[in-house]
Amino acid sequence: MEINRSRDVIVLYKDMAFPVEVDPAMVAAGWAGGQGVTWTDSPDDEFRVTFSDGTWGGFMLAGSNESADQLIAYTGNQPKYQFGVMCAGTALISTISFERYTLESRTAGPLVENTWVVGSKVRLSLRGLFTPQDEWTIAADPRAPNEFYAGSIVQPPRPNNNNYVMIQTAM
Amino acid sequence: MPFPPPVNSFEIDFGGMDLIRSRNCTVFFKGETHMVVPDAAMLAGGWEGGQGVRWVASTTDEFTVTYSDGLWGGFLLWGSDESADRFTSMTRNQIVYDTAVMMAGGAMISTSTYERYTYASRLGGPLVPLVYVASESLFLSSRGLWTNEDEMTLSGHALAPALVAGFVAQVPKPINQFYLGIQTVL
Repeated sequence: MEINRSRDVIVLYKDMAFPVEVDPAMVAAGWAGGQGVTWTDSPDDEFRVTFSDGTWGGFMLAGSNESADQLIAYTGNQPKYQFGVMCAGTALISTISFERYTLESRTAGPLVENTWVVGSKVRLSLRGLFTPQDEWTIAADPRAPNEFYAGSIVQPPRPNNNNYVMIQTAM
Repeated sequence: MPFPPPVNSFEIDFGGMDLIRSRNCTVFFKGETHMVVPDAAMLAGGWEGGQGVRWVASTTDEFTVTYSDGLWGGFLLWGSDESADRFTSMTRNQIVYDTAVMMAGGAMISTSTYERYTYASRLGGPLVPLVYVASESLFLSSRGLWTNEDEMTLSGHALAPALVAGFVAQVPKPINQFYLGIQTVL
């Protein structure tokens, strides 16, 4: 295959896709495609999500302001109307939304790259990106260990895949 | 944005979904669906849409289910005698023909079929309401309703702990007619 990775997340096989309302924190900060999200309460009759901190409902299909969406009708569409499309289930994706560096090194430095082993499990990090680490345990989160596995690694990031990681999601 | 939108405004009022919850279980995204045979206990007792069920042995070559006790195969899509089915060809159809449709896998549903009160208070009273929180794990209760308590552990079930069956996507509240929004993972 020659895969044109023009977006934050490329979906090779999709499962559930569902429109969700994004909370004010996500509208304010924006998000990349592939961002992990979790459910949060809404004052309305809406299914609302916010940035994941390790739990999940799924991941966002499109970023809030991707370069591929510039100068078209989709520009700024999701933050404007406070919605996005959430994917879940078993999908095969290639994405840039993953933790490049270990939590310990992101916290205290110097930066140490995460190790991606094909077939091993991934979770969502404390900021909702795919990671091979259990950040709840490392951060001594009272919910640890994080057994909400989000998928497994299909292809590690490397130069010939544009440094995207390929994941088979299991959400 | 104010509602209604200002005069001459081209703003779209994205007020969101207007959901008609005329059934016990409203499905926004479906998982796997499969025809199953409810056992004699279910035929006698009836069930609501969203009722959790588990597999049970059968003397016939049928996929037979009964009320979940925390274990699950899935949940039944329609109730046995829902008001929305009255005076239609679906009236008591499932009971008469001993068939139902079970859903499993990843689905998005909104249902009235969940536990309102804690397991302990249902047994010993007085009733203590359950408080559901968005994104928390859900299980099936000892009678197959959705709950945030692991009733298999609380009841000393031999196969405890209960497996996670879903997550809270929307808590029950007046604006959603006190239906529970669930992302299922069973």
